[in-house]
Amino acid sequence: MSRERNCPPKADILAIDDTPENLALLSQMLTEKGYKVRSVTKGSTAIRGAKAVAPDLILLDVKMPEMNGYEVCQQLKADDRTRDIPVIFISALGDVFDKVKAFQVGGVDYITKPFQVEEVLARLDTHLTIRNLQLKLEAQNSQLQQEIAEKTAAEDKFAKAFRTCPNPIAIAAYESGQLLEVNQSFLQMSGYAISEVTNKNIGQIYSKSAWAVYQQAVHKSDSQGFIHNLELEFPTKSGQIKTLLLSMEIIELGGTKCTLQILNDITERKRLENEFISLVSHELRTPMTSTIGALDLLNSGQLGTLSDRGQQILRVAIRNSERLIRLVNDILDLERMKSGKIAIQPMFCSLEPLLVQAVETMQAMAEKAQVKLLLEPCDANINLDSDRILQTLTNLLNNGIKFTEPGGTVKLTAKVQRDRCQIVIQDTGRGIPADKLESIFERFQQVDASDSRSKGGTGLGLAICRHIVERHHGKIWAASELGTGSSFYISLPLQHQTRN
Amino acid sequence: MSKNILIIDDEDDVKEIAQMGLEMAADWNVITASSGQAGLELAETRQPEVILLDLMMPEWDGKQTLKQLKSNQHTATIPVILMTAKTQSAIASELMELDLAGVITKPFRPLELPKQITDILVGGKLAK
Repeated sequence: MSRERNCPPKADILAIDDTPENLALLSQMLTEKGYKVRSVTKGSTAIRGAKAVAPDLILLDVKMPEMNGYEVCQQLKADDRTRDIPVIFISALGDVFDKVKAFQVGGVDYITKPFQVEEVLARLDTHLTIRNLQLKLEAQNSQLQQEIAEKTAAEDKFAKAFRTCPNPIAIAAYESGQLLEVNQSFLQMSGYAISEVTNKNIGQIYSKSAWAVYQQAVHKSDSQGFIHNLELEFPTKSGQIKTLLLSMEIIELGGTKCTLQILNDITERKRLENEFISLVSHELRTPMTSTIGALDLLNSGQLGTLSDRGQQILRVAIRNSERLIRLVNDILDLERMKSGKIAIQPMFCSLEPLLVQAVETMQAMAEKAQVKLLLEPCDANINLDSDRILQTLTNLLNNGIKFTEPGGTVKLTAKVQRDRCQIVIQDTGRGIPADKLESIFERFQQVDASDSRSKGGTGLGLAICRHIVERHHGKIWAASELGTGSSFYISLPLQHQTRN
Repeated sequence: MSKNILIIDDEDDVKEIAQMGLEMAADWNVITASSGQAGLELAETRQPEVILLDLMMPEWDGKQTLKQLKSNQHTATIPVILMTAKTQSAIASELMELDLAGVITKPFRPLELPKQITDILVGGKLAK
């Protein structure tokens, strides 16, 4: 009893013998060794019991009235619920014929009476072990089959995605650059037939410049696992040049290292973008040219004198049309810079004259706002596009002056730190809340939404500055203390490789 | 000093504003054309001292009109100033290659036009 409570039985044994003394002996012996034993004297009872709760092993006497052991075994083997239970025959019949028959009807072993306890236990243990191993193997087998089914389903899914994806996809061998597979969209985009691209080297299909981008993508994918949206020019079979975005991942396919190239054809998008930019540029600016010109003529006083209220209203009209043209100019500037239409053309030049020029440009505005403009220059030879950096500096000075009260100061400082130059524009204005320090460099993200109206800004100035600085491989950021002032930092490499 | 000037622009309002500015500020003698073809004919017959030419026009655009003016022996020597929306460095370098007296960016201040044009003609080179 205490054993049953403390640890589970080693196995559930069903013992069948028509002689109660034999059964009692077997049962006692096995229970002592930690087995759970069910004892029955009749074959039919044993079959019912085994079907109800399957034992781990059956010890079966051969010679029994009504139904002998062989018949019992045959019935057990005929039923799904009991077929796999190992049956060991125990019998006084020692004839080889009896033993063979025992195996023929499905027994796994045969013990001759009178038996030795040790022999019964040893055979019992062996067959239980075999049975356990068999069960384990079956479980592993079914798990394996499930995994294979899952993998096949996943491969099917991938193959389907590969086939039906609207993006052109190509897979090439990593080492040789040989194209292994392309999808239907790739063929449609490129105009090639499948036989014209598979097994060709990717360098033969891509243009020279696209091949350079491909190699750059391979290099970057190697170091970070993937690369997204590198722009390249792809010549189709008919000679049309398409603009594509290349995303790449390094994958293994059948043990071979491959590049998975997912392409995005943005030719049409680019065309529409350019069309839109030139449309906005012309269609919006032309009426504004007339409007601003007309207001300017009215404002000259040469067409008659306006009342005070009239002049006041005219100034509102002028101020707002000027704001509109600044906004259009800034939008176009940013779009053109993003699309690479405005190239950054760096040249080695002296930094100091550029700083002086920026301050001189903003001097009139500072005087009008009664803000003191200070310059602490340093001289350095630096590789930059002076027009664009000047645009950045005047923009930041303009901001500084705008947000500084009369009597305050705006200071432009520059210093060289090893191979970089740091430029700081520091004001004594109202400051920028900490949670806005980063977002102000996004488009239309001013500290206060009313700033664009009251300060005449477009909400694009800092986005343009950031773009220019980043195109110089530099960094721009802001630090501020509310009520004390803000500092805008620009860090530029003295020398850099151009990237266009 | 009063000058004869030809303005070629397909936008009537822009022409009118420019004309008014030139007349009011400096009493220049202004003639106008609404297309490159009409401008070339006027330039041939009226021989203005300077031509103010719009860049973006239907049919002949500014560049094509300029080419026609420069390849015509009767108009080849007349200085041409191009009017364009704010120049970008990319476009500016493209314009540098053209045979232009200068560039005036839109929108312009009408009353300052005579001075801008005179400065360009006196300077004799491309104004930024």
